[in-house]
Amino acid sequence: MRLHSLRPTPLRLGALVAALIALIPLVAVLVTAAGPMADSLTAETFWRYARTSAALVLMVGIGTGMLGAATAWLVAMHDFPGRRLFSWALVLPMAAPAFVLAYGYASLFDVAGPIRTAWRTAFGWDPPLEMRTLWGAALVMTLGFYPYVYLTLRAAFLSQSTGLAEAARTLGLTRRQAFWRVTLPLARPALAAGMALAVMETLADYGATSYLTVQTLTTGVVRAWSIFYSAAEAARLALPLLGAAVVLLWIERAGRRTTSEAGQSRWRELERARLSGAAGWGAAGFCLLLIGLGLILPLGWLAYLGLGAEHDMSRLIAGGRNVLILGLIAAAVTTGLATLVALGARGGRFLPRLVSLGYATPGAVMAIGLLAPAGLIWRAFPATVSSFLMAITLLILAYAARLMAAALEPIDAGLQRVGRSMRAAARSLGETETGAARRVDLPIASGALFTAALLVFIDVLKELPATMILRPFGFDTLAVMADYYAKDERLGEAAWPSVVIVLVALPAVLWLTRRVSHSRPGDRT
Amino acid sequence: MIKRLSAATLLASTMFVAACQQQPATETASAAGDCVPTTGGSVNLYTARHYASDEAIYEAFTCATGIRIQKIELGADLLLARLQAEGDASPADVVVIQDAGAMGQAANDGFLVAFDDATIDSRVPEQWRDPQGRWFGIARRARIIAYDTQRVQPSEIDEYADLASPRFRGKVCAQTSDAVYNLTLMSALIDRWGSERALEWARGVVANMARPPQGSDSDQIRAVAAGQCEVAITNHYYFLRMAESDDAEDRAATEHVALAFPQISGQGSHFNLSGAGLAAHAPNRENAIRFLEFLTGPEAQGIFASETNEFPTTTEATLPADVEAYSHHAADPLPLPAFAEHRAEAQRIFEQAGWR
Repeated sequence: MRLHSLRPTPLRLGALVAALIALIPLVAVLVTAAGPMADSLTAETFWRYARTSAALVLMVGIGTGMLGAATAWLVAMHDFPGRRLFSWALVLPMAAPAFVLAYGYASLFDVAGPIRTAWRTAFGWDPPLEMRTLWGAALVMTLGFYPYVYLTLRAAFLSQSTGLAEAARTLGLTRRQAFWRVTLPLARPALAAGMALAVMETLADYGATSYLTVQTLTTGVVRAWSIFYSAAEAARLALPLLGAAVVLLWIERAGRRTTSEAGQSRWRELERARLSGAAGWGAAGFCLLLIGLGLILPLGWLAYLGLGAEHDMSRLIAGGRNVLILGLIAAAVTTGLATLVALGARGGRFLPRLVSLGYATPGAVMAIGLLAPAGLIWRAFPATVSSFLMAITLLILAYAARLMAAALEPIDAGLQRVGRSMRAAARSLGETETGAARRVDLPIASGALFTAALLVFIDVLKELPATMILRPFGFDTLAVMADYYAKDERLGEAAWPSVVIVLVALPAVLWLTRRVSHSRPGDRT
Repeated sequence: MIKRLSAATLLASTMFVAACQQQPATETASAAGDCVPTTGGSVNLYTARHYASDEAIYEAFTCATGIRIQKIELGADLLLARLQAEGDASPADVVVIQDAGAMGQAANDGFLVAFDDATIDSRVPEQWRDPQGRWFGIARRARIIAYDTQRVQPSEIDEYADLASPRFRGKVCAQTSDAVYNLTLMSALIDRWGSERALEWARGVVANMARPPQGSDSDQIRAVAAGQCEVAITNHYYFLRMAESDDAEDRAATEHVALAFPQISGQGSHFNLSGAGLAAHAPNRENAIRFLEFLTGPEAQGIFASETNEFPTTTEATLPADVEAYSHHAADPLPLPAFAEHRAEAQRIFEQAGWR
């Protein structure tokens, strides 16, 4: 951004306020990190956590990359039985929080679980199928997060000009060679972007990894905080995670820029290779297997456990209602704030990247970052501390801070479709900057705003730490209930809120995939 | 567009507030009947417990006194952090945490205030009260050993020290070290044995482990039942809950598993406490003290035993048969402040011993 463009316009001021909301918790983490030293973790333990984090990130990155690429390639470039169904069904695992998948898998593959018990009965020895290991966690998270890669990569394949691949074919490459040497390299930024999202989710996770007894840096954060009572130490342990998040966001941003440049001009419906016979059924079987492992198997098992457990329908309904309304408000507010950032900081690359950091920040760290500013407000206005409205307001702001990135990504992409000349035309016809934004930018990007709102809504359904720590008296959400029951070792009871989360998220996820499909030229599904 | 968005937000928030304000009314309605009419007063409860037993106790309290319970359920760490952030503005009246270590920490951090109460002092033995009167125990849970009755003689596990003996090489199952009940057990051992012997013990147990520490207490019991280990460290009530479960598999799992109550150098078994205390800035002090007294009354104490299978801290409650059967086991009379005092060292010793 050049200096003379830093004049305070209404949009810029709005962007500044929105950015402040997102940045305050992160600043609070940094300030906390400067607090007094406490020798809680030995260097040896720290490095063990760091190694586990790195290994997990690497495995999930590679796993989601491979699964996401394979499915996107199959669905975008081939025709096989059930392709249209799979093109949206492959996204479904996104509806399940990673911790829910972890509940299901840990229980299914426990030494006393159904699979290993049956195996022992049949063969007389215990199969080495343990989910509470690094490999198990990597598998569970890969199954849960591959849809991020699938979505971005499929969109990239579909928006690529077919001309390049056709030129490659006329120059003598086979279909396969054209894919490896032209199509995939062109979509590489999208692949990196999807993997970056999956990896950020992995870094921010605590629920699934702790349930699967995989001890990462986030474990260190939680131990420093809850056993050594040192917020400073916890915040310091979070710094490498934040650093990793900055790098990933940079990769993701870089990816987005290049994709939009590669996906220009001529397009028409992709020519799909027909997979017949065994190949076709193989492709369908592969997609079905992924959906089965990523959603149906773990969730079906949980649902089965739930059937044998007590449940309190009125609490479930109250929890569902609470999170539904919270999700709607948070979606509207976060989308609004992200829109301000996107419009006000247009051209700047620095601000959007910074406000996105909350997304990759582990929940426990975010809790530290949220409590500090909340505490300032509570002490300044003691009368509001038990006020329902104050608690909800803080909670909504916390969601906005945590989920700004999820909204900002699609909005940024949507606004890129508004040409500079169109805005210039509006301004020369007498509109103010704000007027041009309202009457030109927003209508054109309205679809993107809706996508953003859906993403935020889905994330609020699964959100735990902020909800847990900031909610008002007597206020539960589904994720909070699931967590309690699971901590009390009542998986059957935890299954009920878990399944309801997925049921509430499903329509939003489906809506989202349809939006993504329709927003791209060249695909009718 | 923005206008429309904000209008939608406003509408949604109004609906939300309306929907949520109805909630307390329906809750008290269910507790009507022979109950005392509501006084309009309330108690703000910060609790780390979240069990059906507690819901039943809140209902009984509201019924008996007409005072409403407003609660926030939070993990112990978040609970302490929230109290810290709220400072003197905190609306908390009563703090309840199912861990003597965290209760001690809350007291040390100044979140709790001592109060004199003859009723509580007469009901709760001194052993289960903070020496400075800032908190007291409301229910007890034993951290003991579940063993395979087909392969282990109860006499082989008279002492926690036996878990580290070569007899159980490759036969021990346990949770990770940050499981709070492992931390209180280790704190007790540090206090009784000294750090060096405690570390030796932890090393011995790690060497004996059948698998890396993982899963919950119930998972340890199931692993004993499945034959993966012969002995496992667990809290007593998970076993009782499985034994009386509706789930046939859980019941079957406890058929050849039993509980042993080992000693710490002959002093008794390790019990952790659920504690309660008066919050330092309680705005509803009178109501809070009534609630704290109620928690030690025979009705509430009986509910802890019947609903959660915990041992009461008082002697007046009637116990269900399965809890009664174990209630004679002596508890190690460790002074309560030891749990908070040794917590950090306990974690460090575990880590040093390679207990992940």
